[in-house]
Amino acid sequence: MQNEVHLQSRSRLQDYELIVGRSCIEELRILAWELSGKVIQIVNSTFVGGGVAEILEHLIPLLNQLGVDARWDVIQGGEEFFEVTKKFHNALHGRREKILPEDFALFTEITERNLEELRFYGDIFFIHDPQPVALIAKKKEIGRNWVWRCHIDVSNPNRKVWEFLRGFVVNYDAAVFSAPNFAQKLPIRQFMVTPSIDPLSDKNRELDQGTIYSVLAKYGLTSDKPMIVQISRFDRLKDPLGVIEAFEMVRKGIDCQLVLAGGTATDDPESEQVLEEVRKRAEGNPDIHVLLVPPESDLEINALQQAATVIIQKSLKEGFGLTISEALWKGKPVVASAVGGIPLQIKNKFTGLLCYSVEGAAYDLKQLLSNPEYANWLGHNGREHVKQNFLITNQLKDYLLTFLAIGPLGKSSDIIYL
Amino acid sequence: MFDWLTNFWLWLTQNWLHVVIPLVVFLATYVVGLWVRRVVYRAFGRWAVVAKWEGRQVIIQTTRAPFLHWFLILSAFMAIEVSKLDFSSKALAGKILASLLTISLTWVVATLCASILKLYIGKMKRLQPSEPLIVNVIRITIAVVGALILLDIWGVPTTPIILVLAAGILIAALAFRDVIANLFSGFQLAQGEQVRVGDFVKLESGESGYVTDVTWRNTQIRSLEGNLILVPNSRLLQGTIINYGRPLKKASEPFHFYARLHLKELTGLKARNLSELVNLLREVPDSVIYYHTHHFLEEHHYLTPEPASDFALWVSDELGDEVLGEKLASIDTFDFPTIGALRTRIEGVIRDYLSKNPDGRTAREGAEFHFVKSISFVLPTPYTANDLREFVEVLRQISLDSLSYHIFEARLRLKKGVNDFSTWIEECVGDKDLADRLAYLDPYNYTLESLRSTIIQLIEKRIK
Repeated sequence: MQNEVHLQSRSRLQDYELIVGRSCIEELRILAWELSGKVIQIVNSTFVGGGVAEILEHLIPLLNQLGVDARWDVIQGGEEFFEVTKKFHNALHGRREKILPEDFALFTEITERNLEELRFYGDIFFIHDPQPVALIAKKKEIGRNWVWRCHIDVSNPNRKVWEFLRGFVVNYDAAVFSAPNFAQKLPIRQFMVTPSIDPLSDKNRELDQGTIYSVLAKYGLTSDKPMIVQISRFDRLKDPLGVIEAFEMVRKGIDCQLVLAGGTATDDPESEQVLEEVRKRAEGNPDIHVLLVPPESDLEINALQQAATVIIQKSLKEGFGLTISEALWKGKPVVASAVGGIPLQIKNKFTGLLCYSVEGAAYDLKQLLSNPEYANWLGHNGREHVKQNFLITNQLKDYLLTFLAIGPLGKSSDIIYL
Repeated sequence: MFDWLTNFWLWLTQNWLHVVIPLVVFLATYVVGLWVRRVVYRAFGRWAVVAKWEGRQVIIQTTRAPFLHWFLILSAFMAIEVSKLDFSSKALAGKILASLLTISLTWVVATLCASILKLYIGKMKRLQPSEPLIVNVIRITIAVVGALILLDIWGVPTTPIILVLAAGILIAALAFRDVIANLFSGFQLAQGEQVRVGDFVKLESGESGYVTDVTWRNTQIRSLEGNLILVPNSRLLQGTIINYGRPLKKASEPFHFYARLHLKELTGLKARNLSELVNLLREVPDSVIYYHTHHFLEEHHYLTPEPASDFALWVSDELGDEVLGEKLASIDTFDFPTIGALRTRIEGVIRDYLSKNPDGRTAREGAEFHFVKSISFVLPTPYTANDLREFVEVLRQISLDSLSYHIFEARLRLKKGVNDFSTWIEECVGDKDLADRLAYLDPYNYTLESLRSTIIQLIEKRIK
């Protein structure tokens, strides 16, 4: 059974020095040195697709370059198992799901099989998301340190599912969440590590004007008019119709264009329908461009964000909302709803503007389009904020600190001398 | 045998003048040579004494014996010229004597140059390691010139050899152009006294440190992190360098820079209104109070100073209580020597407000105040400073995490009452005035970068 993932490094650690400074990389090396000799075994449910796999794909090679022996394994499931864990995922997000006793039984059965088949060789086990959470059963047998990383917004979870999972989580040494309001009442330590973006990836690296213009030309866009851009999959929770409504309010007084770009999710049958609704709503308005962008179009998404005058993210519900960090990293002024992890990224009127309604979004867009200096100031602050808090080097640092905190050093005091 | 002697005696009695005249010319020339040598060396000796030239002995020792050889050769040449030998014999003898003179002169010039170079390089400590190379290059050059003259004397065409040599030299010069440039730059550096061992220099590239050695190829600089930087001499002369000169007064103990990294630990505690906030405030550990009064400042360090207190922001933004928000924001963290004292003040302000105003709004779901604890990891950096100049240079390079640790964390969280920089400057550098200036600097009034600049300016003003 092939369940160990070998990764080739895409970016060199020293490439990040130019962005975050040498001292930051030096600090990472010191932390990594403290973990020398330890094997970090990272386990999740898939090594392709999804945000977790994408983050791990970038993080693990960097950990290895720092000298940390981090290795990645995936559990084996099967279609039925992942249908169940998908339901768990939705339920933890607060969505109503019909969870049957058979679902819990299947989860337990597949976990038993993975406990037998997976090789447990790490000194620290870093388990991601609910799918492999029950592997903690192995702790009784082999001991060592176990950390559960929850990438899901569990601020308002389905109690039945959470209570089931909680039975496993309490046996870990620590849990890691993405935002303060995701914290739970647990007898174990809980740390906060925010997700991050990779400034050197195709999605975020700086592009030359030629590339940007060619992408604009491909989608029939012009750079003559100010461009408002929302990048997100076609999902009601991203409120694309609300964005069009806000744009129409703005367009009455300011000559500008709107770009709604994103894909449809294969696991979301509703997304095709939403796309149709959006296209229908935009019909007849030449200033609204609805772009269905295929997956793996990171460079094009990047170009659209860099070409934008203002970026909007008018979600009704959001996890952490990393598209905000992507937009801020490009120095763009952002208008976004104050939901999920967005307020962590946008401090209203300092690093962007937060809105609570269609009217509020329209008002903020007008403010930014009419005051380019203010917009630039917000964009500049936003980029600095991301640089300080939401780059992959920060996440790397936080994970290394987490591993140290659960060791003997971290148990004594809130101030730890290395 | 006897026949031969008889014939020779017969020839000598008939041609005695052909032998005597060259012999007389030989002896006369040699005597003149001895006299010239005496006069020249006396005159040279007097001049050297007046001029106080230390190369005098070298010249005399090297040329005194060969001088006699040269007049011996000259005397022989003169004698042969006045003799009755045929033209071809004279020509052959002339070539042999010219060759002997060339060999002798080449040897003397080479020895002389090498001795004088050694004399001068010996005075320039920085070029001493390269002495054998320089001396050998000069020796080889002179030997090659001597060989070319010899070949010319014997009628061997030298033009092709000169061309081949010239081409070889050109190729070598191109191949070793960097080495040659560095060598000459090394001479310039040695003579110009622009950079001396022990000087503190800052390069165009931003690196700085103390010059530890200047060799014929590069200048070695020991950076403040302890790394050895090798700068080619030519680059050093071409670029802009700031030479701060000799170190300042050394501190009694070096300052070791540390950095502090935060890990956020979630307590799971949350407050929905003021009463819950104030009750939890009393229970939570110091590291929670520290987090909520400092993380905004550190996470938004690029912003013009804003109220650093999360409590003030939450009360204003989420509970909509601008009055209490302002009261909390105006609590000056700098006034408090410990977290405990700061906590008491925050608690007091809220309790006082609650006693006059009934508990107002409750935060909407998802916007409660979540208590977060700051776990600090203090780690050593490679940076140390032995004097104020080094201190300033390191200060420019350290991360903001390091600055925050020594300024905020040391004063309040580690209960030192004063920042680490002031303590070191007072106790180890002995500059109480500067230490006081830094101690009274309210760091909460600056962005972290402007705080760094302000401290640097204060110290630079002092060391100028």
